[in-house]
Amino acid sequence: MRRTARLLTGTALAVAAAGLATAPAYGGETGSLEVFPSSAVPGGDVTVNTAACGDGGTAAGDASAVGAGTFTLAPSTHEGDAIGQFKVPPSAQPGTYEIVAKCTDGKEVSGDLMVTLASMRQQVQPRGSVKTGVGGALGPDPVQTAAGVAALAVAAAGGTWLLHRRARGDGI
Amino acid sequence: MRFGNTAIGAVTAVALCTGAWLLTSGRDTDPPPQPSAAEARPDPAVERAAARALPPSPPDRIRIPSIHVDAPLMGLKLTGNGSLDVPPAAKKNLAGWYESGTTPGETGTAIVAGHVDNADGPAVFYDLGALKKGNTIELDRLDGTVALFTVDAVEVYQASRFPDQKVYGAAGRPELRVITCGGGYSRSTGYQGNVVVFAHLTGSH
Repeated sequence: MRRTARLLTGTALAVAAAGLATAPAYGGETGSLEVFPSSAVPGGDVTVNTAACGDGGTAAGDASAVGAGTFTLAPSTHEGDAIGQFKVPPSAQPGTYEIVAKCTDGKEVSGDLMVTLASMRQQVQPRGSVKTGVGGALGPDPVQTAAGVAALAVAAAGGTWLLHRRARGDGI
Repeated sequence: MRFGNTAIGAVTAVALCTGAWLLTSGRDTDPPPQPSAAEARPDPAVERAAARALPPSPPDRIRIPSIHVDAPLMGLKLTGNGSLDVPPAAKKNLAGWYESGTTPGETGTAIVAGHVDNADGPAVFYDLGALKKGNTIELDRLDGTVALFTVDAVEVYQASRFPDQKVYGAAGRPELRVITCGGGYSRSTGYQGNVVVFAHLTGSH
């Protein structure tokens, strides 16, 4: 059972959090409880969602490990996920806490929430430009153009041949 | 003899049609629209008042009615060199958001990126450069709210002089950046930079 806070505390935790903050739980696979943000500050809002309860399924959430008590996960329009929210108590201590959700069918899923004293999420900013295009909207492909020119050359040769015969009176 | 002439005539006709088709088919030959200088600078005097920040919630869809964008969003991470990763190019109607950053609607700078084109032609943000100040961008969020952003400016930056802090830096109010490729294009090096749309939260429902 990891219901209670793990032993990591204080400075050691803050250092660990800095390293882990770039890998939020959102986007995980079916069957787990996704926690967003995965790293929150005391007083912050947290959203959890899971696909484990099936379409239209609801779940009972339990964030008592972090002192936030119970909450409800309701069905949403997002890919059949059940979604719930809770607030990290302002008195919460830094640490990693297990958040649990139990579907009405009895299935239980869990995810980790890390509480840190300072928000880590904004610290890693992207850098530089973004590679979001290859030029496919910009005019024809050179290979296609070459093929087109070659085909027209064949047509020109054929046409010339036919005209030449006609001029010689071979008849068409 | 007559048979030979018929065959040559047929080959000629087919080659003519094929050549014409190859040279005229398929591609949209217009380059993507680029913003005018008038869209480049935010004008605080006419900006709509900022709305109160929303609690964090991941987005799952972006809509920009003025340029007919309605696309799902995937989470994006960083590449090895620290730049923002992009959605798979093959999916032309898919955009992404930087999932380790701010969620759209909470205080800070949320970042959305998508392709201007792929090998087959225009993609989700082909018309991004045609956005104007005051246009609306809507983001559907997982918690059921829709964050409404109003465009403050649309700029083009060269990749070699990309203003990281201005585009990605933290903000004291809920802001949004929408990024795609733009600037000049060369066959050897591709697009020379990015079109960046700056917007801030002006409402939600």
